Amino acid sequence: MESWVQFGRGPLFAVAFSLMLLGIFRILLLTAIGIVEAYRRSWDRIINWKDVRLQTASWLFPVARLWRKRPLYSTVSVLFHAGLILVPLFSAAHVLLWRRAVGFAWPAIPQRLADVLTILTLAAGAGLLLGRAVPAVSRKLSGAQEYFWPVLLLAPFATGFTCSHATLSPRAYQELMLLHVYSADLVMVLIPFSKIAHCVLAPISQVVTAVAWKFPPGAGDRVAATLGYADLPTWMPKSRLTKSAVPAAAAPAPAKPAVPKPVNQEVTVP
Amino acid sequence: MQPITIEERGKAFACPKKQEVIDRQRLPVRYHVEDFDVEDRPRRFLQAFAAVLKHTNYRLALDHYVRVSAKCARCSVACQVYQATGDPQDVPCFRSSLLLSVYRRHFTVAGILRGRLLGDPGLTDEQIQQMAASFYNCTACRRCYFECPMGVDHGLVTHLGRYVLSEIGIAPRALVVSTREQLIGKTGNTSAIPVPALLDTLAFLTESMQEELGVDVPFPIDQDGAEYLFLPAVSDFMMEADTLMGNGAVFRATGDSWTIGTGYYDGINYGLFYSDQVLERVVKKIHAEAERLHVKKILIGECGHASRSAKYFYPAFCEGRNGRPVINIMEYTHQAWKQGRLKLRPNTIAEPVTYHDPCNISRPGWILEQPRDLLKAICANYVEMTPNRRDNICCGGGGGTVSIDEIRPYRTMVGGRAKAEQISATGAKYCVAPCANCKKQLRELVEDNHIDCQIVGLHDLLYKAIIFD
Repeated sequence: MESWVQFGRGPLFAVAFSLMLLGIFRILLLTAIGIVEAYRRSWDRIINWKDVRLQTASWLFPVARLWRKRPLYSTVSVLFHAGLILVPLFSAAHVLLWRRAVGFAWPAIPQRLADVLTILTLAAGAGLLLGRAVPAVSRKLSGAQEYFWPVLLLAPFATGFTCSHATLSPRAYQELMLLHVYSADLVMVLIPFSKIAHCVLAPISQVVTAVAWKFPPGAGDRVAATLGYADLPTWMPKSRLTKSAVPAAAAPAPAKPAVPKPVNQEVTVP
Repeated sequence: MQPITIEERGKAFACPKKQEVIDRQRLPVRYHVEDFDVEDRPRRFLQAFAAVLKHTNYRLALDHYVRVSAKCARCSVACQVYQATGDPQDVPCFRSSLLLSVYRRHFTVAGILRGRLLGDPGLTDEQIQQMAASFYNCTACRRCYFECPMGVDHGLVTHLGRYVLSEIGIAPRALVVSTREQLIGKTGNTSAIPVPALLDTLAFLTESMQEELGVDVPFPIDQDGAEYLFLPAVSDFMMEADTLMGNGAVFRATGDSWTIGTGYYDGINYGLFYSDQVLERVVKKIHAEAERLHVKKILIGECGHASRSAKYFYPAFCEGRNGRPVINIMEYTHQAWKQGRLKLRPNTIAEPVTYHDPCNISRPGWILEQPRDLLKAICANYVEMTPNRRDNICCGGGGGTVSIDEIRPYRTMVGGRAKAEQISATGAKYCVAPCANCKKQLRELVEDNHIDCQIVGLHDLLYKAIIFD
């Protein structure tokens, strides 16, 4: 059992961590390329950068936003996120592991603070899960992923906290530790492929939205041409969209072609 | 705000269309749609979607939104439609997920693989019907954008959803018919006002002002090389005589050169509401008229969507960053007043006055303080609505829905419910709404909800307060 734990926080961790970094790098790169492409395609290069910065900052540090709307939910959510980011990065045990592995590390936060943050995160996570499962609105919005993620994210917290505080038999300790390490590895691998990618993508959302509103010139006409309706835009009175006007080129398998070919006529005559 | 009762719900969502039309078009929506090909709709929707993604910048946003959307439902507090109906299907995030799920299923590798593995047949006709209903329940006011921690712009998703739907023939008849007149009709504007009628109206306005003020206020026509080309919402020429007289009086007081072009005099652009192709064509009409008359700037009248579509899409489709500046008449008037070129009589309006921010000009933080400064200069009793400015609540007729007359019960009971409460709470006798769409919607709103408040434009009031030298 112990060797499995060692494997999980040694080689497997290295693989999971690298996959996470590579995955994050990939989506950031794709988004960056998308932004540049979209920006260059448009003639309108006027972007209100000040507003973009303000919006971004106000969501990264939601101090002013907290109390304006849904104060309870906002507070719980911010606590949850603060714990999720701070505890794994700065708990004393993790910092120690880093130092052992690569020879350097950063200062840890006091154990007492880490404990408080862990408990708050667990409580907040449970609260958020309840808030999702109970009201009809959020139930309607939620798929399996929405229930799966809080549970998976809280698993390393619950196990890690128990391991460092409860008096456990060595076997129970090892089992919990196994769960702790492997669930955390799983989280890291899944981050770039799931909605948790927002941990790196959210800060550039405002830029993406601002650029996406920059429409490239001529796009509407090219769309119509691609669909085979260059001469039949949507505002024409005898619309292309009534059956009789569908041009043969636009619909590969039209129910009733606009210009019946001789072959078809022969078929329909009898 | 209390959600609507079941009885009100029945009235607001009653379908004005005949059952046979719904069956024929296979589209249970409340707005009228011109007949279109209903065969094989999902495939054609996906074709249109693919073509749009190929040629536009939407893919960037969709890719991003699909990745980050956390489904937190925080946007529900911002949506006046959801607040009124209490229906989870009206939460902005749910509305966007209708289109985002199609994108994920058919245009991402993971979605296609997953569809193959699970044998998911993909987009169904029911989903298209749901989108057609949902995207026109939204007023595209973009208030939810400010509540999304992930920065998902549900207004953009609604805009795209409507665009793709319009390419397969699903668009409100009211909007399509107006656009048809504007782009290929004889009169070339959405209200089908011919040039002689326009000239008559303007001559009549000049005459009335001569009588009322004793001042000659001309409306210059086709002045080559003028500073400003003036484009109000064309309906103003028929419905908002007071606003136009105010506009004319301001220019008479400042003495700047401006002109109305007989080649094109309509600011309205319904493309912003349902089709990028229309949006571009209409903006290009403005460009052609500006070129013809060699004007230096483009001045849009009191109209929210006209201002936004010109300000943000004129550079995009016509001249780029260094082209003609586009400004709104309120900016112009405010600047003239600041420079001391326009003198206003204080305390002209004694009754309580409040101001409604049109979404299209206030949400980007563009025009917020200018009309307020002007109103405070002429009103003895100016009261503010809450919330206001960038966080204002939509009148309930945004996104082109105000032009769809058959959904009036929905607009005044659901979409405008929050606004009606807001206006009542101020106790104002005048509500200033500097937007043709907002004015029409708010008038219907106060009428249907029995609120004692008169809806006016900003220049209607300024007209009474201008001091001529």
